[in-house]
Amino acid sequence: MARVELRMPELGNEITEAMIDAFLKDVGDEVSEGEEIVTITTPKVTMDLEAPASGTVLELLVEEDEIVAVGTVLAVIET
Amino acid sequence: MALRHMMVIRAFESGVASLKSKGSYGDLTYAYKGPAHLSIGQEAAAVGAAMALTPEDHIFGSHRSHGEFLAKGLAAIQRLGDNALTTIMEAHGNGALLRTVETHLAEETEHGLAENFLLVGLLAEMFMREIGFNGGMGGSMHAFFTPFGAYPNNAIVGASAGIATGAGLWMKSEGRDCIAVSMVGDGATGCGPVWEALNFAGMAQFERLWDNAGFLPVLFFFTNNFYAMGGQTNGETMSWDRLARIGAGLRDDAFHAETVDGTNPLAVADAVERKRHVLLEGKGPAILDVECYRFSGHSTTDVNAYRTKDEIAAWGAVDPIRTYRDSLVSEGILDTAAADAIQSEVDARMNAVFMAAADPETAPPPRLGIDGAGIGRKMFAGSETPSDGPAPEPLSDPEKVARIRQNARKSRGGRDANGEPLSPLKAITLRDGLFEAILHAALTDSRVIIYGEECREWGGAFGVYRGLADLLPHDRVFNAPISEAAIVSTAIGAAMEGGRPVVELMYADFIGRAGDELFNQLAKWQAMSNGLLSVPVVVRCSVGSKYGAQHSQDWSGLAAHVPGLKIIYPATPRDAKGLMASALASDDPVIVFESQRLYDQVELFKDEVPEGNYKIPIGAPDIKRAGSDVTVLTIGPTLYPALEAADLLAGRGVSLEIIDARSLVPFDYGQVLESVTKTGRLLLVTEACERGSFAMTLASNVTRFAFGALKAPPRVLGSPNWIVPGADLEHGYFPQPFDIEDAILTDLMGVAGHDRKGSRRWDDLALARSGL
Repeated sequence: MARVELRMPELGNEITEAMIDAFLKDVGDEVSEGEEIVTITTPKVTMDLEAPASGTVLELLVEEDEIVAVGTVLAVIET
Repeated sequence: MALRHMMVIRAFESGVASLKSKGSYGDLTYAYKGPAHLSIGQEAAAVGAAMALTPEDHIFGSHRSHGEFLAKGLAAIQRLGDNALTTIMEAHGNGALLRTVETHLAEETEHGLAENFLLVGLLAEMFMREIGFNGGMGGSMHAFFTPFGAYPNNAIVGASAGIATGAGLWMKSEGRDCIAVSMVGDGATGCGPVWEALNFAGMAQFERLWDNAGFLPVLFFFTNNFYAMGGQTNGETMSWDRLARIGAGLRDDAFHAETVDGTNPLAVADAVERKRHVLLEGKGPAILDVECYRFSGHSTTDVNAYRTKDEIAAWGAVDPIRTYRDSLVSEGILDTAAADAIQSEVDARMNAVFMAAADPETAPPPRLGIDGAGIGRKMFAGSETPSDGPAPEPLSDPEKVARIRQNARKSRGGRDANGEPLSPLKAITLRDGLFEAILHAALTDSRVIIYGEECREWGGAFGVYRGLADLLPHDRVFNAPISEAAIVSTAIGAAMEGGRPVVELMYADFIGRAGDELFNQLAKWQAMSNGLLSVPVVVRCSVGSKYGAQHSQDWSGLAAHVPGLKIIYPATPRDAKGLMASALASDDPVIVFESQRLYDQVELFKDEVPEGNYKIPIGAPDIKRAGSDVTVLTIGPTLYPALEAADLLAGRGVSLEIIDARSLVPFDYGQVLESVTKTGRLLLVTEACERGSFAMTLASNVTRFAFGALKAPPRVLGSPNWIVPGADLEHGYFPQPFDIEDAILTDLMGVAGHDRKGSRRWDDLALARSGL
């Protein structure tokens, strides 16, 4: 059992923050590596972030509509 | 019919040749000063093509298009009924040309009258007369008459290929039962934009992704006379050994390419008829390599140094008119006396036409008005033509599109309760302002189509269109190839046919790749057509930052230099939305410069960016900060460093009045002159290189218009005349707040001993001597 964090990725020089549009999984859901977990929007794009590992969603650490900085931990998956 | 039409063209071209070489033709003595790129020898190609086309099929010709134009007109006249001809002739120029022809070249039949109308309309156009088809604004190489399906001829080799392709794009969009024909020469296969057009017309998406599947109905008709100026195409200046073979590189069906005997009108008509059928089935585009020979020189200054007399004589043996006439006689279709009678009738008609067109009483030159600015008033339509069609049905409910929902949650103003700027994720940005104006147009006007290199899934290079692909099908918003020339030229063609394209050039630096299309085509057809055509195209181009010398240049001044383009450069979300709405509504071409640094800019000047659609007039500058000591006129993003400079100088008791130009062309000086009359001092700030910039034009004009009020000569602070450096050195290149402060205190206010904090410590006189 290990904890794997999903962080807000670097999305280019100009982008320092993004808005959380929607979580596509709830706490307790099973996810496979590469499965989409959360939709985010930067000023330029809307995109889905994928699970970095297979396991169970342990925590969702930010709220929908929240603006978060690059590097922020968004979710934790227990493998 | 074919024989007579060929004779008409030969007689017309011979008449022009005679005027150029001898100063006379028949009963006429006249010094024709314009160009004469004659097509003697190529008549069968032109007439054969026209025989197979309907008046609804549109040809776009070359510089050597008298023959093509006449052939298309004669064929259209042949197909149209008396009533249609009367209506067409009455409608053109309030019937002025028709009246002239009726008075001086009366005919018993409506068709005979229409032929004289066609001939006088073209010749008077070449003689720069008001009754010419284009009011004398086009001339020999640009004449056209759309009711007969003859669209603009073009003095730029190959330029018609992209414009015809755009016409085909709009014909496809409207589902018309007709084709567009690009009539260019073999030399045009050496032009990059022609290759871009060929590729564009056959883009795979037309077949695979568009609901109305099928390629563009464009026939690339190459009149192959073996020479491109003095160079021989086959064997010298081209790599191909047979023009038709270029199709093989484009698609497995080689674009149905064929070589055709261009000395035989029936062979050409047969080929065009077959290609037309293929195009109407959506299986085009098609290429025809129509071999024929130009007996006349490239132009009348051509001494034929590049070809031998033997060669010309050998082709003379297969002169298309004599060959065709002989075949009609030998087949018993026509006897010699009848053929001679046709020739006599044509010669007599042409003599009368030349006399009428040259007579200044019959065909007076254009009136330029008492102020002499008559041509100037033809540069812009200055009008708006609202859509009269139904609003297009979006693919989904706009309120469910993520981008639109996100914008709905954003603050319309750019500041929080404490007056601090909001995050671009929480407030409407300049990017959103552009999006909202374009979205409104796209959802209310089916004429609006949007394309560029990444406009669909990517949402435009900088996300302006994000969300649009959820609402619009491929024929309304699509990805174009990396072909800036084709992007702009096809937009021009589509606009001539009734569309209102919005196209994106990712970076202003790519303007060079569409130079002819922007500066010779988009800018000129409104005036060159004497207002018969409008070109309502919006060209969006971003001005880069941090990407160095080829991706960060403000070329707004380059665009402003060429007459015929309206130019806006908004710096706030509210202005961006309102100016874009004006651009979209305008019947004139508008170039929109958008600073990448400002896409995330929130509204700091007005309380909010209105939610509904609204227009801000193009040409009106805007006071962004009132002041009393110095007027600062900013272009584009320099508004923001100017504001910082105003704060710096306020601390020293100097008050700046900051005016945002917002538009470059047109430009209403009133507000600036009023401000300068008050302050007596003007600084202009631009990110363009200073030399030749639009700010220099503004400075020069303000100096004239407000000379008496000036306490110091206006100063332009722009970027230096060298390359834009990479990201880390940009602060020493684009004007910064300290540079603005320095310029004001030293150059405008003469403060002695000012300690400069900006990076500009160079000697402008010394730099100029070094070419900098």
